[in-house]
Amino acid sequence: MTVLSCSGLRRRFGDVLAVDDVSFTIGEGETYGLLGPNGAGKTTTISMITGVLERDAGEVVVAGVPMSTRTVAAKRLVGYVPQELALYPDLTGRENLRFFASLHGAARSRVEHVLGVVGLADRADDLAREYSGGMKRRLNVAIGLLHEPKLLVLDEPTAGVDPQSRNQIIENVRTLAAGGMAVLYTTHYMEEAERLCDRVGVIDSGRLVAEGTRRELVERLGERDRISLQLEGDLARAAAVAGAVPSVHGVSAHGHGLELVVDDAREALPAVLSAISTGGAVVRAAEFDEPNLETVFLHLTGKALRE
Amino acid sequence: MKVLTIAWNNVHRALRDRTGLFFLVALPLLLVFVVGAAFGGAGTPVVGVAGDAGVLRDDPAVRVRAFADEPSLRAAVEHGEVGAGLLRTGTGAPLLLVRSDQAGQQVRLLVTSALTREANRLSAAGFVAAHAGTDQATALSAVDSTRVEPVEVRTSTTGTALFPENFSGFDLGAANQLLVFTFLNSLTTAAALVEARTLGVTRRMLATPTPAWAVVAGEALGRVAIALLQGLIVLAGSALLFGVRWGDPVGAGALLCAFALVSGAAGLVLGAACRTQQQITGLGILLGLGLAAFGGCMVPLEFFSPTLRTAAFATPHGWANDGFDVLTRQGGDLFSIAPNLAVLLGFAVVLFGLGAWWLRRAMTR
Ligand SMILES: Nc1ncnc2c1ncn2[C@@H]1O[C@H](COP(=O)(O)OP(=O)(O)OP(=O)(O)O)[C@@H](O)[C@H]1O
Ligand SMILES: [Mg+2]
Repeated sequence: MTVLSCSGLRRRFGDVLAVDDVSFTIGEGETYGLLGPNGAGKTTTISMITGVLERDAGEVVVAGVPMSTRTVAAKRLVGYVPQELALYPDLTGRENLRFFASLHGAARSRVEHVLGVVGLADRADDLAREYSGGMKRRLNVAIGLLHEPKLLVLDEPTAGVDPQSRNQIIENVRTLAAGGMAVLYTTHYMEEAERLCDRVGVIDSGRLVAEGTRRELVERLGERDRISLQLEGDLARAAAVAGAVPSVHGVSAHGHGLELVVDDAREALPAVLSAISTGGAVVRAAEFDEPNLETVFLHLTGKALRE
Repeated sequence: MKVLTIAWNNVHRALRDRTGLFFLVALPLLLVFVVGAAFGGAGTPVVGVAGDAGVLRDDPAVRVRAFADEPSLRAAVEHGEVGAGLLRTGTGAPLLLVRSDQAGQQVRLLVTSALTREANRLSAAGFVAAHAGTDQATALSAVDSTRVEPVEVRTSTTGTALFPENFSGFDLGAANQLLVFTFLNSLTTAAALVEARTLGVTRRMLATPTPAWAVVAGEALGRVAIALLQGLIVLAGSALLFGVRWGDPVGAGALLCAFALVSGAAGLVLGAACRTQQQITGLGILLGLGLAAFGGCMVPLEFFSPTLRTAAFATPHGWANDGFDVLTRQGGDLFSIAPNLAVLLGFAVVLFGLGAWWLRRAMTR
């Protein structure tokens, strides 16, 4: 089932066309990563999707309910975690959550629940101002979870936090997605997108320039996985048998090793290894090289994701 | 419901801010006290005396300060250290040194009436001693023990007196401080609105199923509630601590509410219009003090030129000040300040309209 569908989103700020004809959909339980360099238009897109920013053109529908800045029905279905720390620093964690819980119409018991989920229960009565950066981020995320949304929208939820808080946030999102929540996620961290996202969209200068799973994107660029092997034994024979494995597209030999070009390194490896050992050679070491989103990103935008 | 939640959140945060509370509560009351003390309130006139103070020593209306000789007494009078100086050395008639200002004339009256009373007492005793053949001391005590029913005199002011009888300096300061601080604090605490937008919490509120009008109304109500709370504290605090009279309580309450509405609405406009907290603080102090000065909170309206007086009534402060004048000096009631209330409500409606429109725009643009 489609939880979010947006089409033809457009928004201009003065001379800057911040978002230009952006369309994508997210299904139930799916995590969609929106990747792009600084100023690409991620936050602007997200603001229109969550109905906090007027759009110049386009449609947003959440679980069949149209979204706009003037409706409230669709907003019941969306949890929003903004890029900035949208908290009252002079209120405690619990007070922040209670305030937003009452705006969401969520039960008081949800406050205690989400405090537990993000691991802030023992610091709930401290002022948010006194939290560490990572704790503030976790509170920021917690507010988006109060009303058990169908669609969770997170705008760089892990920006500038320690690895521990980052892991906690990522694990939280994973668990929620596994429970059927649709997630829209932006980040500057490639590893995060690769770990978390089922599909990614690459946005640059306001336009969605590519979309798909990591593998689809990599293939579209003509990049392939590679396997490097260190061998003992008859190198030529090993190259011949390995080249005969169906998913292997090319073999080259150098020194004591072979380099194979394959569709999917992890899938191909067992077949390759058994073919080589049948051929009489011994594998000393094996190494994958999977072109990652970073490569894709550089290719598509000419920019590194983090500047 | 959500409107109240948002409004309460504003009040809650304002109450939690310790420095804010100082400006909100302690400072206005302190100024009521300082201004009140400076303009009278605690003032018993002081009379400097060189020689025998005599009956003045026991007079509750004046305080006596002793001086060694004429030059030091004269200097003290000239420098205003004492209200007047009584020279009673040698054998000649007592000499009273006064300045020509109002305070000097007031002390002159007090001293001469005290001395006249004493002269009357002595002459009555002389009369008794001569006719009853007793000595002077017995005659004096006989005079003192005679109770004379005082001749009843009622005083009333005619014409338009600036200050009615019993109008203390505290009363004078309190109304002005109330207006200055209610408005000023309302403008500067509107920084919270800008903070909420820069932090992103305003957007976050809009992302919840809360209509934009409810967010705007909640913030506006919060502004008004803070202004009203502060006004009430100054009103009640000054009445309880310094005995300030505010006149008809219903009238004073209504005037305070109307002025709090204007203040809250002005805060809303400023909070919507400004982009940074520095802008708010700067503009807030400028407008808060400027309008207060034009509205007669620094210098009484009576001292304004006709042109300035007209300008004063272009400010909410002018109308509120005039309203409190009517209540405290002319014994007015709710009915007599109805025009003031109407104008203030007009100010509030216009400012609320502007602020709501502006804030709504600033939130989703
Ligand atoms: N309120 C605004 N007024 C004017 N220009 C804006 C506004 N918001 C965004 N922009 C511009 O729109 C473009 C897209 O900004 P946006 O915040 O969506 O980028 P982003 O992809 O979220 O970047 P980042 O990764 O740095 O968060 C930028 O050029 C930005 O300067
Ligand atoms: Mg952004």
